[in-house]
Amino acid sequence: MPPLYSRRMREAWITGIGLVTALGPDRETTWRRLVAGESGIGPLTLFDPSEFRTSIAAQVDVSGLAIPLLQGLPIRHTSRASRFALAAAAEAMRDAGFQTVEAHPWALVLGGGTAGLFEAEAFVARRLRGGPLVRGLGELVEVPQDAPTDRIAQAFNVTGPRITVTTACSSSTIAVGLAAELVCDGEAPVALAGGTDALCRLTYAGFNSLHAVDTEPAKPYDRRRKGLSLGEGAAVLVVEDASHARARGARPYARVLGYGVTNDAFHMTQPEPSGAAWERTVRAALVDAGVSETDVDYINGHGTATEQNDPAECAAYRRVFGGRLADLPVSSVKGAVGHCLCAAGAIEAAATALAIARAIVPPTSGFAEADPACPVDAVPDKGRSGDIRVALSSSFAFGGNSAVLVLGRAT
Amino acid sequence: MPVAVCRDFSTANVLPPLVARRLDRPSRLLAVAAREALAAFGDQFPWERERVGITAGTWNAGTSALLEVLRTVFLASPDEAPPAQFPSTVANAPASQLGILEKLGGPNITFAEKQVGGLRAIAEAGRMLLARRADAVLACGADEADWLNAEGYLRLGALRTDGHPGMVLCEGAAALVLARDPGSQPLAALAGWASAATPAPPYKYPDGPSSVVQACTTAIARAGITPRDIDLVVSMANGIPALDELELTALAQVLGPYRPAAVGASERFGEGAAAGTLRALIAALAAGGATTPAWDPPPHLAGAGFPTATGRARTVLVAALAGGGSALALVFTAV
Repeated sequence: MPPLYSRRMREAWITGIGLVTALGPDRETTWRRLVAGESGIGPLTLFDPSEFRTSIAAQVDVSGLAIPLLQGLPIRHTSRASRFALAAAAEAMRDAGFQTVEAHPWALVLGGGTAGLFEAEAFVARRLRGGPLVRGLGELVEVPQDAPTDRIAQAFNVTGPRITVTTACSSSTIAVGLAAELVCDGEAPVALAGGTDALCRLTYAGFNSLHAVDTEPAKPYDRRRKGLSLGEGAAVLVVEDASHARARGARPYARVLGYGVTNDAFHMTQPEPSGAAWERTVRAALVDAGVSETDVDYINGHGTATEQNDPAECAAYRRVFGGRLADLPVSSVKGAVGHCLCAAGAIEAAATALAIARAIVPPTSGFAEADPACPVDAVPDKGRSGDIRVALSSSFAFGGNSAVLVLGRAT
Repeated sequence: MPVAVCRDFSTANVLPPLVARRLDRPSRLLAVAAREALAAFGDQFPWERERVGITAGTWNAGTSALLEVLRTVFLASPDEAPPAQFPSTVANAPASQLGILEKLGGPNITFAEKQVGGLRAIAEAGRMLLARRADAVLACGADEADWLNAEGYLRLGALRTDGHPGMVLCEGAAALVLARDPGSQPLAALAGWASAATPAPPYKYPDGPSSVVQACTTAIARAGITPRDIDLVVSMANGIPALDELELTALAQVLGPYRPAAVGASERFGEGAAAGTLRALIAALAAGGATTPAWDPPPHLAGAGFPTATGRARTVLVAALAGGGSALALVFTAV
């Protein structure tokens, strides 16, 4: 019997990464285009956007997805969000060198978002218009937010603790942190961690109703920013006990040093503007990781490109890093892959791990003109070389839930 | 629809009308339950509010707000989607609104795990405390009643109807306060927890009881006790015959021939994440000696020799199994 929650006896390494984004159906395509400063934001074709205020999104091209077959399950009952998750999980497993199909006593922690809502919307529309109850069973199967988590467990026979975190846009940041905690606690030698989210009419209409969406591609930290661009996708990371990874000769991208999670208790949709609340999250993460602010070489920021969010975020960094912030690269991938909501944190954690492993700081696509309210080095144009010892991956969510992951080099 | 609705629920005398009006129903339910849980501490809140976290489990919070937004999108115009409703469509709205209302700045995490969510919130509250991410955590469950969820599970044949056994969905909320240093009179101790899974499609229970067995066995071991120390089992039965069979087989493997007292609870308030938290609340109250839950065991357990509780239970096992195959068990003990 493993000891009860023997914290910090182990290190958690990231040994596999799978990505599905609007930039590409896999990790390497996404990374290559991300570093090149490209954007996946374009015309939305998943549904008719003509009645919406905006008509763009970072939509995934599903034609290139490699989806593992689920035993006995018609693929038509698997939601778009689950397909992203399955493709990302399959890539992460391959990347980590896990080929087998026997039962894995691993943990599985995902950020749960809209799950099968895009499919369920067709059912809801029919019922609201007086259509019959008897139709649409398949469209409702994945309404529960943990359905994609169940699908991954089913596809890869994962039998350990299975957790779905749903804290909106910080969901999968917390999922990665919690997965690392499970590994460090000795609850599982390996954890699959990540998040998935798919575009749907609800979120598209909702963010439009809040006037939080730009009609043009998002420009994080930029003076001209007018809002976010919605996106979709998935990221799954293999988080592994370092001794387990060493024993099988796996090479790590990075180590999860710790994470912080707090609530600003301020407003459902607006961040606490002084940055004091977000500062608490950053400091909690640094304490949990056992590093100081001077160890941090890069921040993968939340950077939604909304009018209020970016300044509050930068204010928090200013409070933590002081004058050093001017020389600290802070970039947001949301100008490239959009805001993928419950998948955003995992996608950004993956980008951060790749940045550490490859010593390249990814750029902020869309950023061109500095804003005094966002006094950061936002890494314009293209990725740049940079030796990164410790990096933060930062997320903020509806309801004031912020989370910060601390990743470092695995040695 | 077979849903156990909180018909007499009111926020009067708990929340100011203007505050209550801007909250969605699951947020109101949770706010009231949390106020009751926090009332035990009176005006002298014993912890810094920035060090108090919230964990919540939910199966369906946000559904009614979601339907309101979609009603506008589909029947009127996307341009008219109500911005005030949109934040309530996220499942973490009840926990987040609670954080705002009570000014609790610790970690605030919601778990979506169907029937298991309510117990998950308690287990992760325990982990949060051990990791010193908070000094106290409000561990909650909240669910709402809405036609979309009910229709979905009705179509799956999982709900109770005339002549068809099945579950009744739960609407409601429950909250427990867990603390590292709970003061001189804690109700009970969360002594152990564990979870495991047997993969199955999201809408089905697994074929075998292995995940329940593993979760219960590990939780009992982590609590530092043996199966024969269990005085009371709070049954996970929800009216679905397949779950009865799974539970019976699992308990036989965990307990062997030993038959502690058992109590059925879901018949009282239905099934869901909030129901899970309510069952944990019964377990904590029983372990703390505050009550003897003398409700009869469900028929499948009574028939197998599990008696009705008649005396003090100092060690209580409560477990849950979700569609999709995730299981979680908690052990509460007297302090």
